[in-house]
Amino acid sequence: MIRLPLLVLLVLVIAMIGPAPGQAPTRRVIEVTAERFEFWPTQITIDSGEEVEIRIKSDDTSHGFRIVGAATNVVIPKRGKGEAVALFKADQPGRYTFECSRMCGAGHNFMRGVLIVRDPSAAGPR
Amino acid sequence: MKSLSLRQLAGIACFWAIAIAPASGAAQTAAAAEPTSSTGPLSGYMDFHFNKADGEPGVLDFHRFVLLVNHTFSPKLRFVGEIELEHALVEGLEEAGELELEQAYLDFLLSRQFNVRAGMVLVPIGIINERHEPPVFNGVERPFVDTVIVPTTWFEVGAGVHGELGQGLRYRAYALAPLDALEFDAEEGIRGGRQKGSESDVRNVAFAGRLEYRAVRGLTIGASVWTGESSFATPRLDTTVNIGEIDARYRRDRLELRGQFAHVGISDAARLNDALARLTGVSPNIARSLRGFYGEAGYRFWNAGAPRDLVGFVRYENFDTQFRMPDGFLPLKEFDRDAWVVGLTHYPDPDVAVKFDYVRLRNQSGLLPTRHVLNAGLGWWF
Repeated sequence: MIRLPLLVLLVLVIAMIGPAPGQAPTRRVIEVTAERFEFWPTQITIDSGEEVEIRIKSDDTSHGFRIVGAATNVVIPKRGKGEAVALFKADQPGRYTFECSRMCGAGHNFMRGVLIVRDPSAAGPR
Repeated sequence: MKSLSLRQLAGIACFWAIAIAPASGAAQTAAAAEPTSSTGPLSGYMDFHFNKADGEPGVLDFHRFVLLVNHTFSPKLRFVGEIELEHALVEGLEEAGELELEQAYLDFLLSRQFNVRAGMVLVPIGIINERHEPPVFNGVERPFVDTVIVPTTWFEVGAGVHGELGQGLRYRAYALAPLDALEFDAEEGIRGGRQKGSESDVRNVAFAGRLEYRAVRGLTIGASVWTGESSFATPRLDTTVNIGEIDARYRRDRLELRGQFAHVGISDAARLNDALARLTGVSPNIARSLRGFYGEAGYRFWNAGAPRDLVGFVRYENFDTQFRMPDGFLPLKEFDRDAWVVGLTHYPDPDVAVKFDYVRLRNQSGLLPTRHVLNAGLGWWF
């Protein structure tokens, strides 16, 4: 039988780890569609310090979504098989290339886009 | 019930902490998806056809067996290769099959706007040449216009640049080995003139370019050009081939539309015909211009995702490899053709296309009958 102090300790550990389900911090969701050999939109703009949730669906085969220079690299399932979700946050303004990371056909290397991280204090509308 | 020890509880707590805590760093990823099929450094596509024309025996043909390999030297330096076996067998003659190196290039990815590509590349013309995987287009066979006007699959050795200019504009511009005008003919136009990177004669250099515009969701508009002096084997001629092409694709909800127009101009065609007549004893009756266009409408009747994906389509094509003849030559009207293609494409998997279509192929000769062809095909990408 689990002793009460240990149970309290376990609850405290879980509470320290992060918010409970349903209480996740609100973050902007960006929806991206992938198809041979392009992403839509091809350009994404976020603010520095802003964490965004990028949800990517495919309209055909399985693709990949990799942000060059960041740790993000997810497999996008085939059309109708779900979506990939990538969380991204950059603290400094800059430009990142995102690209398909899974061979998808003759034009695979053309399948790229740009993610612009801007300074919110100096920027206009997205 | 057996009680848990403190060590066991600590272990469980640590496991939970590791499993559900956010990862450190700028980016985190997760997937919310059904299991997807696997792939490795080897991918490719296959095309298996049955064709039955009226009055002719049916033909089963394993049309294309294509393998792609790729290698990443670094994020900015990559290799892509594509080897294709056509018609399942190679006996040394094109009619019996071909083994082709369709792509083998290095991409130097320098920036979004400017990248360099060198090696064996696909000529950037039209919808199909760079987008020819079987699940990507409707119809068992490729459009006629993308066969006898734009000679897909068209690949050549050379080098060039590509990139995105912003505002939805994307470009490719290559310097490539030219066509060989001695291989042109009346029925298939410039198709036989592709040198295919096999010890290509580059006394002259051809230039190919394509600009694509995609600023509206679902809509892609493209324009392509090719120009190249093609009579290097007969230096007294000045046979320059110029190609202009425009195309558009649009998809919204269940509707898919696409269209393409291509025009080929061949300068000095009269003297080219004379030269070839002296060489072979027969005038090939090569035109001074070829023209083709098509429009296609597709509708996704079943749109629930594979295996409940079914597209019906209809395509009209008009193509003439004798559109304008040089002075002193008469067009052969059998090569002024048009076609209606009606069919279905079913996707049991997004990468597998089961295709059926009916083709009504007419010509203007009055001597040769209209052809009626039933096609069935199985194509897949992996």
